[in-house]
Amino acid sequence: MKQTDARTMSFINLFAVLGALPSLCELSDEAREIIAGKTISLGIEVKGGPAGVLHFQDGKITVSEGCDKCDIKLPFKNPEKFNGMIDGTVTPIPSKGFTKIGFLLGPFIKLTDLLSKYLRPTKEDLENEQFYRTSTLLMFHVITGAVAQIGNEDKVGKASASYIVDGNVRMAITEGGKVLTAAHIAAQNHHLTTVHTDTDTPMSLMEFEGVHNARGLFDGVASSFTLICDGKLRMGGMISQLDNVNRILDRVGLYLA
Amino acid sequence: MHPIYTFDKSMELIRRAMNVIPAGIYGHLGPAEGCHIPIDAYPKYCDHAKGSYFWDVDGNRFIDYMCAYGPNILGYNDPDVDEAAARQREKGDCTTAPSPVMIDFADLMVDTVKSADWAFFAKNGNDVTSLAVMTARAHTRRKKIVFFKGYYHGVSPWTQKIDYAGIMPEDVMHNIYVDWNDADALREVFENNRDQIAAVIAQPYMHGNFADNSLPAKQFWQTVRKLCDDNGTVLIVDDVRAGFRLDIGGSDHYFGFEADLICFCKAIANGYNVSALCGKDFLKTTVSGLSYTGSYWMSAVPFAAGIACIEKMKRIDSPRILIEKGEKLRAGLIETATKHGLDLHVSGVPSLFYLRLADDPSLMLHQKWIAECVRRGVYFTNHHNHFINAALSDEDIRETIEIADEAFVAIGK
Repeated sequence: MKQTDARTMSFINLFAVLGALPSLCELSDEAREIIAGKTISLGIEVKGGPAGVLHFQDGKITVSEGCDKCDIKLPFKNPEKFNGMIDGTVTPIPSKGFTKIGFLLGPFIKLTDLLSKYLRPTKEDLENEQFYRTSTLLMFHVITGAVAQIGNEDKVGKASASYIVDGNVRMAITEGGKVLTAAHIAAQNHHLTTVHTDTDTPMSLMEFEGVHNARGLFDGVASSFTLICDGKLRMGGMISQLDNVNRILDRVGLYLA
Repeated sequence: MHPIYTFDKSMELIRRAMNVIPAGIYGHLGPAEGCHIPIDAYPKYCDHAKGSYFWDVDGNRFIDYMCAYGPNILGYNDPDVDEAAARQREKGDCTTAPSPVMIDFADLMVDTVKSADWAFFAKNGNDVTSLAVMTARAHTRRKKIVFFKGYYHGVSPWTQKIDYAGIMPEDVMHNIYVDWNDADALREVFENNRDQIAAVIAQPYMHGNFADNSLPAKQFWQTVRKLCDDNGTVLIVDDVRAGFRLDIGGSDHYFGFEADLICFCKAIANGYNVSALCGKDFLKTTVSGLSYTGSYWMSAVPFAAGIACIEKMKRIDSPRILIEKGEKLRAGLIETATKHGLDLHVSGVPSLFYLRLADDPSLMLHQKWIAECVRRGVYFTNHHNHFINAALSDEDIRETIEIADEAFVAIGK
C-alpha cells in the first residue's frame, strides 16, 4: 500500500531522522566539534504528533521522549508543520528559550545540515570511501529507528507489528566477523522500541556483511535473495519476527524516499 | 558416524539461476522462504528421487521428511501410480475434450471423502481454496470470510495480509481473524457480523510455522460447525496439507464433523499435479455456475495417477501406517534429545509432525540442530511441519535417529 501519513512521518522525522544525531556524533569528528562544549536541551512538541527532547552535552547527544523539561522548545501546530521544518520549508519559532536561539541558528543548523549531507549524499560525496562508510552506517540507524516508528504509528506497519512476537530483533553491519555497528528493535506486546546498541539476547538477527552490501539493500539496488545466497546477508532465530520487520522495512523506503 | 555433506554444485547452480530466475528459487523451496539457515547447510537442487529419498546435484542422499512439502505420500516414483500415469499418457493427456478418467476420479473422490457429494478439479491448493471462497460468497451472497490466525490458504491476494507487498487494503477488507481454538471469539464475531459471514475457512488443525502445532480443543470443531449452521455460513476445510495423512475420508472425518467444502491437493496423486474441491450437494449448482477454469485443469494423466494413488492409499491403509511411522520417529527423537539433556517438542499428528527444541525460544539452537541433521543426510526443516511417506522404512527411522544423535553431539561442542 503506497499511502503514507504525515503523523507517522513526524514520528520518523523526530525519532529516526533527528534521532540519528547521536549516531552522527559518534561517527563524525566534524559533528562532535560543532557541539563541543555545548550543554543544552532542545524540545520539540508536535500537536497531534510526537514530543521529544535532544540533549546536547560534552559532544554527545541523547534523545528522550516527552517535552516537559528543555532549554529551548519548538512547538508545531501539526505534524505537517514539523515535517516542513525537516524539509526546510517551515521556519520554527521557539516558545521557550529565546536567549538561547543562537544555538538553534548556529550549531543546530550546522549539525542538521551535516546530517542531510550524509543522508542525502551526492554521487561525488559517495566516491570518498570514508564518507560512504559514515553515510551508510548513519543510514542504518535512521532505518532501524524508522522501523519502530512505522510499526507503532502507521496503519499498515501496525498490522505487521501485531504479528511480531516479543523479543529483540538484532540488526548489524559486520565486516570480516567484526561488528561495525548494530542496533536492536525491542518488541513487547507488539510495541517496538529501537535501541541503537547491540544486544546479547537476540530473538532473531539480520546481519549485513560489509557496508557495500548493506547500502545496496538500503538503496534498493541489491537483492536480499542474492545476498542471502552469497552469505552476505545472514538471518537466524525467530524468522517470523524478521518476516514482519521486513514488511515494515518495505514501508521505511516509502516514507524516507 | 555419517559424513558431512557439502553443496558446491547446488550453490553454483543457484548463483547461475539468480541471473534468470527471480530469487533463484522463489517460494517455499527457496533458501529464503525455506529458511536455509545457514545457507550452506542445505541442498538447493535435486538430481533424482526414489521412495523416501532424494539425491541432490552433489550426489548427497537425503531421507526426506518434507516429501516435496507434502505431495510424496507413497514414496517418490511409486510404481503403481507411475504405471497408471504412463498408461494414460499413451492415450492422451491435455486434449480438447476431457477423458472419462475425470469421471472415474470424481466417483472415487466422492466414494472416499466422507463429506463429498461432488468433486471439481484444478491444479494447486490455491486454485481450490479460492474456488471454495468464491462458492461460499456466490451461495450466501455475503462478503466476509473468517480465518484462524496462523493460517495458510495459498497465495492469492485474499489469502494474504494488508502489509504484504502487492496487496491492497481492498483485497483483505472482508477478512476477519480469530484465534485458533477460541470458540467464544468466533461466537462474538458471528454476533457482531450477523448475516454477513459467507464462510469460515480453516485447516483441520493449526499447523503454522515457527510454533508448536495445535490440535483442535475438545468440541471445538463441533462448535464451529454449529455456529456455521446457525448462521447460514459455509464451513470450508482446507485439507491441502493434511489431507490423506490423517484420514482417507478427509480430516473433517478424523475430527468428527463434516465440512461443506473441503480442499485437497498435495498427497492426492503422489506428486502428479491435480487438486480437488469436494463439496456438499447444496453447493453443486452454485459451483457449476462459476466462471472458473484453467488450461491444464482437465489433463488426464494426473487423474489416472490420482486414482491409482487413492486406491493404493486405501489398500494399504496409509493414514494408519503413516501415523505409526511418525509415532515411532517421534519417540526415538525425543528419547535421543532427552539423552542430550534437551527438550524436543514434537507436535501435531505424527504423520505431519512439527519439531522444536524448546531449550532456546529464539529457535537458534533448533536451527543449528536441524542444519547438522541436513548436513548428515536427514532433510528436516527448521520452520515448517514435516511429512511422513509410506516408503519410509524402519531402517530409515533408525538411521534418522542415529543422525539426530550425531547432530545433537555436534551442537553440544
